[in-house]
Amino acid sequence: MKPFAYVKPADVAGAVRAVSDEPGAKFLGGGTNLVDLMREGVERPDTVVDVTGLPLDTVDQLPGGGLRIGAMVRNSSLAADERVRARYPMLSQAILAGASAQLRNMATVGGNLLQRTRCPYFYDPAAACNKREPGGGCDALGGFNRSHAVLGVSGSCIAAHPSDMCVALAALDAVIEVESVRGTRRIPMTGFHRLPGDTPEIETELAPDELVTAVELPPAPFAARSRYRKVRDRASYAFALVSVAAALEVRDGAVTAARLALGGLAAKPWRAHEAERILLGGPASEESFARAAEAELAGADVRPGNAFKVHLARATIVATLRELNTGKGTA
Amino acid sequence: MTETASTTTTAGQGVGESARRPDAVLKVTGEFAYASDLWLDGMVWGVTLRSPHPSAWIRSIDVGPALKIDGVLAVLTHEDVPGVKFFGLDRRDQPVLAIDQVRYQGEPVALVAADHPETARRAAAAIVVDYEVRAAVTDPRQATDVVRHQPVRRGDTFEAEVVVTGEYEVGMQDQAFLGPESGLAVPAEDGGVDLYIATQWLHVDRDQLAPCLGLPHDKVRLTLSGVGGAFGAREDLSMQVHACMLALRLNRPVKIVYGREESFFGHVHRHPALMRYEHGATRDGRLVYVKADILLDGGAYCSSSPAVVGNAASLGVGPYEVPNVRVDATGVYTNNPPCGAMRGFGAVQACYAYESQMDRLAEACGLSPVEIRVRNAVSQGSRLITGQLIDAPAPLAGMLRDLESMPLPEGPPATDLRALPGGVSQTTRGEAVRRGVGYGVGIKNICFSEGFDDYSTARVRAELVGGEPHVTVHTAAAEVGQGLVTLQAQIARTELGIANVTVATADTAVGSAGSSSASRQSYVTGGAVRAACEAVRKRFDGLPAREALERFGPIEETREYRHRPTYPMDPVTGQGDSHTQLALCVHRAVVDVDVELGLVKVVELAAVQDVGRVLNPQALEGQIHGGSAQGLGLALMEEIQVRDGLVLNPSFTDYLIPTILDMPPMQTKILENPDPAAPYGLRGAGEPPTLSSTPAIAAAVRAATGLRLTRVPIRPEDIALFNNGEVSDGKRT
Ligand SMILES: Cc1cc2nc3c(=O)[nH]c(=O)nc-3n(C[C@H](O)[C@H](O)[C@H](O)COP(=O)(O)OP(=O)(O)OC[C@H]3O[C@@H](n4cnc5c(N)ncnc54)[C@H](O)[C@@H]3O)c2cc1C
Ligand code: SF4
Repeated sequence: MKPFAYVKPADVAGAVRAVSDEPGAKFLGGGTNLVDLMREGVERPDTVVDVTGLPLDTVDQLPGGGLRIGAMVRNSSLAADERVRARYPMLSQAILAGASAQLRNMATVGGNLLQRTRCPYFYDPAAACNKREPGGGCDALGGFNRSHAVLGVSGSCIAAHPSDMCVALAALDAVIEVESVRGTRRIPMTGFHRLPGDTPEIETELAPDELVTAVELPPAPFAARSRYRKVRDRASYAFALVSVAAALEVRDGAVTAARLALGGLAAKPWRAHEAERILLGGPASEESFARAAEAELAGADVRPGNAFKVHLARATIVATLRELNTGKGTA
Repeated sequence: MTETASTTTTAGQGVGESARRPDAVLKVTGEFAYASDLWLDGMVWGVTLRSPHPSAWIRSIDVGPALKIDGVLAVLTHEDVPGVKFFGLDRRDQPVLAIDQVRYQGEPVALVAADHPETARRAAAAIVVDYEVRAAVTDPRQATDVVRHQPVRRGDTFEAEVVVTGEYEVGMQDQAFLGPESGLAVPAEDGGVDLYIATQWLHVDRDQLAPCLGLPHDKVRLTLSGVGGAFGAREDLSMQVHACMLALRLNRPVKIVYGREESFFGHVHRHPALMRYEHGATRDGRLVYVKADILLDGGAYCSSSPAVVGNAASLGVGPYEVPNVRVDATGVYTNNPPCGAMRGFGAVQACYAYESQMDRLAEACGLSPVEIRVRNAVSQGSRLITGQLIDAPAPLAGMLRDLESMPLPEGPPATDLRALPGGVSQTTRGEAVRRGVGYGVGIKNICFSEGFDDYSTARVRAELVGGEPHVTVHTAAAEVGQGLVTLQAQIARTELGIANVTVATADTAVGSAGSSSASRQSYVTGGAVRAACEAVRKRFDGLPAREALERFGPIEETREYRHRPTYPMDPVTGQGDSHTQLALCVHRAVVDVDVELGLVKVVELAAVQDVGRVLNPQALEGQIHGGSAQGLGLALMEEIQVRDGLVLNPSFTDYLIPTILDMPPMQTKILENPDPAAPYGLRGAGEPPTLSSTPAIAAAVRAATGLRLTRVPIRPEDIALFNNGEVSDGKRT
């Protein structure tokens, strides 16, 4: 590991100053992703700014019914929060489907949002990877790509975004609040992560010196009936092959509200706008669910190793919507 | 220096009881000292530079930049190996450090010692190696360099009324022990070296080490330190020579401990296999012939591939009576990671294939999976395909009937969501869940085979300590977590009637105990401890222990124990009495499969195993559960992903082993039909359950899905794709 300086500021102003003063600095949350990457020599910060001492570790009620989640709230605390469990069950389920209890106890909301892909070539400094070394090529294209993305990919990078939590946040229209020495701004979750295009090394709209301070969840009454389903290689402690966050409101057999986001499938947490468009106002039927899934996945760009994901995604989407429709899906 | 495994147990528990393990509480509370905890003041740290390429010439190695780093004490290459530059279990074909070429990714190229592990790592990264990358042989079908080809030929009828064929594949499994490779080498005043090491076989380590160090055997002394699991992966050398080379060069203690990722490159794996089988039978399901081609990828070096090939050949059709046989097992060299010993050792791969074939045959003959197996089952008096007579009880048919009559779990599907495929994350609500039941049968040779001089040595000393009779048992047998320390004490208590027993730390100050592998230590070291105890007891002259020891003073005896000799397999026909003992285990698996999402939940495993004699019920249950879990891993998730010779998942994030949520409850039935040739009539128990659980689970998934599933591990896409109706490539039965 490359030697680095370590600082632990006590307030947000100190944290953002520390990073803007030092171009080679990185924020450190729970460290469950950053430290691994530093060990592999993939991340090589000169300074590590530990933000876990910042007073951003509460979940607060917003006027109008939403919630404001501090960026330092640990994943396990967020999943256990009663308001989250009652109003946004898909978010609680998504977090609990991720990693292990020990990791969730360490991981922060901010760190989860910014965790990096699990593409094995990205982790191996001896491999060619445009995300790690822009212009170096992409060994995943012709290599082992079972875990890779089929939506939103480019010829430069087919890495999948690994987060479970982010899939639920994308479905819930969350808003990310960020702060830097230049002030505060708000970025919608669906626009927070970027598609790889020709610059897979740029993963979010966040500038390197911007700190995530909070995530806001708007009120979403229909989300009280929502589900997160995750398909993976073992019963726990494995990344998603495919995951689905869905909420569905049905009146008189017709869909009156639908939210759908997909994980494991795309370069970013994938909000399924096309599927939602088809579902909305249509019948709450198996055929309609299948059509919506089909439409969303029509643009899939597959390789031999990950072609199965399209079929698996369709089955998972339909199964999740079916379950919500038959009313058994509340947490 | 940390405490090693020397232990005193005072509970008066002998053979046949669940004697308490001295390491149990320490392990559960995190206080057990593993080899990675070894510490000596003044020690320095060794780090290994490894090849990033699976195949390359080395043009030059420049250690200059590493030597310039503050805190670096030594940088060594192959030129610094003091003695013989190669080692190996079977053939000395593996260089201590790469000489002019590298043959697999992760091959050690240079060593660094520094005052801090991080400094050493940075220095290793600063070494400049100029590689000329060359084409790598990574497809075993293209490999021309054969490690061993072993045919088995019997009979000449290769026509039958019913014929089923199949091609099967087993992925590369890792032993995935939790305690990574670790050792501490301490230079001695006599110019020799003392090595504290987590290993499976102290003496074979020493026999390879001493020539490489250019030292006589008696100047290389090994002491076992806390072993965090082994499963075959510690049978080959890892850093033993490296740590000793650095220690001797610097005249300072040197510790090397691998990290998790390095561990994946630091030990051999289970051979991946490509297998083609043809079974011929009469219409009523009696086997007429079996033809099999078994191709095992041995990777870059020999390791124990020859013995693995021998097992795959001699046990290649399973515990069935087959009059006509044409089996060819072949191990080849490639530029993939070296493969060698892992629990089940060649028998595992064949078992998956021949059991899959038995299910196909059952279907073709209109018989149940149990019935087809019963009709062909071996029993005492049968002959293996090698012509060897099974001269001990082998009640396979009865075991299958017992298994079949065990109650089935409730369902399907389960109502508790935790029990559904996908588990606690509630991936499934049970809508597309199908239940399947499958059976698997396995046969494993116990102890070393094919003429190996297989023995163990025990030194037993009885004396009065504080006026109380006390026994010390000293062997070189490695406790790798299986409970051998406990068992040695149990045997001493039973044989000498003395409750206070100390099992001394295993080291090379006593004769060889052989390897903690091939399910052999209870048999061979158990036999040696018993023989030494008998010799001590004889010297009691019929007196009670206390009186005898008061009268005669301390009594010490050392004994070697050998099992019945075995013989090589004929190189052309494979015939010969190559094994000394055979063990059977049968499994029934019940699975729930979500056929839409491809998720499998093993609902229950049931097993019947004949162990000859139960020596420690709790330890035995542990072996059966653990072996079954390892077989479950191979069936459903465990695979080292190798692409073009490169390992893609060297971490426990990406190499998946079953968790407690994946492992179901088990029903077990243990039979005790003694083997008259073995001490206490026992039969080795550690490996057989690993064999049969994999095909049982695969069969259950096939039963639930109707798919052929010819490869393990079975992954979600292998199931989900076909049931979406999207793909139909004839793989459906
Ligand atoms: C074995 C293993 C299994 C896992 N399985 C899963 C899984 O199944 N599903 C899943 O979703 N995840 C999984 N994870 C990933 C895990 O969720 C992430 O590692 C975790 O959420 C990261 O949070 P952290 O606080 O530890 O981030 P850190 O490691 O501290 O930081 C991660 C990144 O975020 C940046 N960062 C941190 N906080 C902020 C902030 N406030 N503002 C701006 N930047 C910030 C850091 O600079 C760094 O780049 C797994 C991880 C491991 C190690
Ligand atoms: S897929 Fe992306 S992350 Fe993976 S190797 Fe290619 S560029 Fe790198």
